[in-house]
Amino acid sequence: MSDEITPELKQKIIDYLKTVSKAKNKEVARAIDADKHLVDKAIAELSKEGKIEYIYLGASFIKLKED
Amino acid sequence: MSDETPLLDELEKGPWPSYVTQIKRAAKKKKAAKDLLGIQELSYKDRVTHWKHGGIVGVTGYGSGVIGRYCDQPEKFPDAAQFHTMRINHPAGWFYNTKSLREICDTWEQYGSGLTNFHGSTGDIILLGTTTENLQPCFDALTEKGYDLGGSGSALRTITGCVGQARCEWSNFDTLNLVYDLTMEFQDEIHRPRWPYKFKIKASGCPNDCVAAIARADFTIIGTWRDSLRIDQTAIRNYVDNGFEIKTLVVDKCPSGALEWDDRTKELKLNAEDCVRCMHCINKMPKAIRPGTDCGATILVGGKAPIIKGAYLSWVLIPFIKVEPPYEEIKDLLRKIWDFWDENGRTRERLAELIERVGLKNFLKEIGIPPVPQMVYKPRANPYVYF
Repeated sequence: MSDEITPELKQKIIDYLKTVSKAKNKEVARAIDADKHLVDKAIAELSKEGKIEYIYLGASFIKLKED
Repeated sequence: MSDETPLLDELEKGPWPSYVTQIKRAAKKKKAAKDLLGIQELSYKDRVTHWKHGGIVGVTGYGSGVIGRYCDQPEKFPDAAQFHTMRINHPAGWFYNTKSLREICDTWEQYGSGLTNFHGSTGDIILLGTTTENLQPCFDALTEKGYDLGGSGSALRTITGCVGQARCEWSNFDTLNLVYDLTMEFQDEIHRPRWPYKFKIKASGCPNDCVAAIARADFTIIGTWRDSLRIDQTAIRNYVDNGFEIKTLVVDKCPSGALEWDDRTKELKLNAEDCVRCMHCINKMPKAIRPGTDCGATILVGGKAPIIKGAYLSWVLIPFIKVEPPYEEIKDLLRKIWDFWDENGRTRERLAELIERVGLKNFLKEIGIPPVPQMVYKPRANPYVYF
């Protein structure tokens, strides 16, 4: 398995988040069948890029950032 | 509200410093501190707490570091109706200069009650009592000065350790550098709670374990050495010549009987294989005995206080590991443990409880560590018994 964060991986994460209101990192990794460490890193990058945001409801979730 | 606090006043009596006296001092300047006295007096009178959790509060981008506190009598105590705590990540080893301490205190007088706790049991700088409205500006002011929030909730808690090589000659690795490095590496884990429950990492430079990491951390790093004690026989003889009872105070108290005193040759003999590195002889004769030179640490897991199940002492996972930058082995191990725990842990289940539920064998298999005899599970479950 590649240990690079690819644009395809980021797109898969975004596509999955379009189907749910919120998700945990591990749920995203499981849903797109990707390595959780890579998904963690990709999510951190997507957050810095302003494409997703974290929400805190007792635990951390992510969701697509609303325009 | 009356200024009378007869029950709290009892806590000012006696020879020890009183936090009531300190809060009374703060109350002269801050209404929130005055109301805090009133709330506690009422709690003592009613014999129930008047604090309650009232929802999630925080600052932008952070899921931890602020603990919401509300009073259930806001009409009686309007200035402490919201009394949130902010945890600020401490500098490793708690080294400050007076300028930085003044900056923190000035900021807190501006945005909070002025009451602080240096340091909380987490190791953080604890800033006690502010309003929801003041959280963000206070955080902004502190980050401008180089401070950051610490951990709270189901996240990695602020990593802490002993003062290490900065002031202690027994430290077997640089605890301050390790604490700083892990803190910088795991920022996401500290600020974004996403695990079943809290996770604590604490580092002690030697088996004296001055920060009690063995009893308080899920992941405990305790300095040790792989070779044998260094014994200066001339210094030993100086102790004995000055009346030091070496046989009674050291040799007889060696837990594994690894030491032997030859009264004829005036020599302390060590059977290095039997030494369990308890530090007793070093503590008793610091001028004559030192740790070895092949230094590193033992990694233990599972320490915790009683919440769901009872208290646990950490037990050995890795008997010896070199602790040198960039600490990749330790970081990889942590990530493996977190993955396993995150995947299998139930809500509010600490690592020790998970391991007990699924079995040490399965845990070791999942994180890829072969069993070794040092992994005694578990030697003692009550961390409140010390020798």
